[in-house]
Amino acid sequence: MNPAVLTVRNLSVQTASGPGQRPAADHVSFELRQGEVLALVGESGCGKTKTAEAIMGLLSPDRWKVTADEIRLEGTELTRLTPREAGRIRGSEISMVFQEPLTALDPVFTCGYQLCSVFRRHRGMGRRESRESSLAMFGRVGFSDPERTFNSYPHQLSGGMRQRVMIAMAMACRPAVLIADEPTTALDVTTQAQVLAQLVELGRAYGTAILLITHDLGVVAQYANRALVMSGGKIVENARVDELFDRPRHPATVTLLSHAAGAVN
Amino acid sequence: MGSDLRLWGQLRADKAGMAGLLVVAAYFLLAVGVWAGMLGQDWSSAGGDRWASPGAEAWFGTNLLGQDIFQRSIYSVRTAFEIGLVVSVLSTLLGAILGAVAGWYGKTWVDGSVLWLAGVLDSIPFYLFVAAVAFALQGKPWAMHVAMVATFWTGTGRLVRAEVMKIKSREFILSARAIGLPDLVILARHVLPNTGHILLIQASIVFVAAIKTEVILSFLGLGVQDGVSWGLMLAESTQEVLAGHFNNFIAASAMLFVLLMGFNQLSDALQDAFDPREAAL
Ligand SMILES: Nc1ncnc2c1ncn2[C@@H]1O[C@H](COP(=O)(O)OP(=O)(O)OP(=O)(O)O)[C@@H](O)[C@H]1O
Ligand SMILES: [Mg+2]
Repeated sequence: MNPAVLTVRNLSVQTASGPGQRPAADHVSFELRQGEVLALVGESGCGKTKTAEAIMGLLSPDRWKVTADEIRLEGTELTRLTPREAGRIRGSEISMVFQEPLTALDPVFTCGYQLCSVFRRHRGMGRRESRESSLAMFGRVGFSDPERTFNSYPHQLSGGMRQRVMIAMAMACRPAVLIADEPTTALDVTTQAQVLAQLVELGRAYGTAILLITHDLGVVAQYANRALVMSGGKIVENARVDELFDRPRHPATVTLLSHAAGAVN
Repeated sequence: MGSDLRLWGQLRADKAGMAGLLVVAAYFLLAVGVWAGMLGQDWSSAGGDRWASPGAEAWFGTNLLGQDIFQRSIYSVRTAFEIGLVVSVLSTLLGAILGAVAGWYGKTWVDGSVLWLAGVLDSIPFYLFVAAVAFALQGKPWAMHVAMVATFWTGTGRLVRAEVMKIKSREFILSARAIGLPDLVILARHVLPNTGHILLIQASIVFVAAIKTEVILSFLGLGVQDGVSWGLMLAESTQEVLAGHFNNFIAASAMLFVLLMGFNQLSDALQDAFDPREAAL
């Protein structure tokens, strides 16, 4: 078995204002191993996004209370980093693709500028160098005319293209871990399949382990090696994908499976 | 920026706005002419007869000192633009920075201090404040500028603060964090540029306000110290009007009126052009 690149132990997320409420994530523990695609599935509102944002350190402390025994990325304990150190790791060692590609890009800058800023920030590249790397990266995620994409504003691109731009930004520094939060739910079915295939292929090529958040069990079956089932903020099942489909153990998994079957029929 | 072309199209379709733009451009050319030393240079010599009628010698006649009213009203365009530009640029800059910082650190002591400062400045009667600043600065020619910048930034500041609070919760800020950009970089590169439309509109509003205020202050003797402006001309004309001479009064008022009308049309058109963009976001 491959070694773990990301280890999460007892991660809990609560709103800072009302700690009496049910936590958005409740003692979440799992391991993401090198080179694997690990699915995180669960009904809407079960805490998938909050778990991801907590791992990324994106939850603002005045609104959310995050506690964890351990969030270890390769050798680094993320919970003990200063904001400066965390900033150097985010986007280079661990990165994230968001649910909504329309709003995740800054409307006033070109896609090229936004991808360049990743190379400038983490690779210390200058203008020319970051431009060349960006063009290459746009080509890598399947744009046939990288030059044109480079000069486009987000609103000029389709949803699928925007999500490819996001993927290019997230994968630019060949991170050890990519968290993809329902990267294709906002897209139509054909585009979904293309974008996902591209993402998984790129992860394989770069040796990036992917935590793939989704509620589509078809996606899980096709791309993931293992799956975590989340319900009410807790991880209720952690299994190989074939086992999950053959012998679901938790009621929440059974419900998900029956919904998926219902959607197909 | 991507929407520049569309904005320009929108502005072109707005007839009143285009007229305003033409007026402002014409005044701007006059101001440039004065700066370049080609126009209105003969504004101070008191060579001619007092209260001469308009004619080939002095197109708008002369004032009570025998100075050429046409030359003076043209030279005043430069005075007006200087004050308008300096005050609008500086107060927009100040409002943008303080508003952005307040919005970014919203509901903290930083935000509280900026709001408190803006509240205090807004509650001081303006002309009293100018008089106090002018007195404190011992009649320095830029006392008026300082007073205006110190009070005019508050409107921009409040608007920018509110906009930054909105922008802060948008997803592209989260994704800027996710690629590891530090807070201050995010604020400067992704938050402030998204307030650009507010800054542009506010700058044009403050520009007009500064020119108007200069006229009133100069009329009251608190404004332009050396040089000439429409406000000083109006102050002179109070003595002349009593004696039945209206040329100075009419020239200064007309020059001021046309510029203000033009600028108001232009800034209305700008606001309209930006509105649909706001709604689309
Ligand atoms: N801004 C917020 N303020 C308060 N509670 C929130 C906020 N955002 C989310 N929550 C709560 O946190 C819980 C987890 O939300 P989260 O966004 O992680 O769900 P999710 O599993 O990603 O759902 P989805 O599949 O719909 O994206 C939800 O029950 C929700 O009520
Ligand atoms: Mg979610």
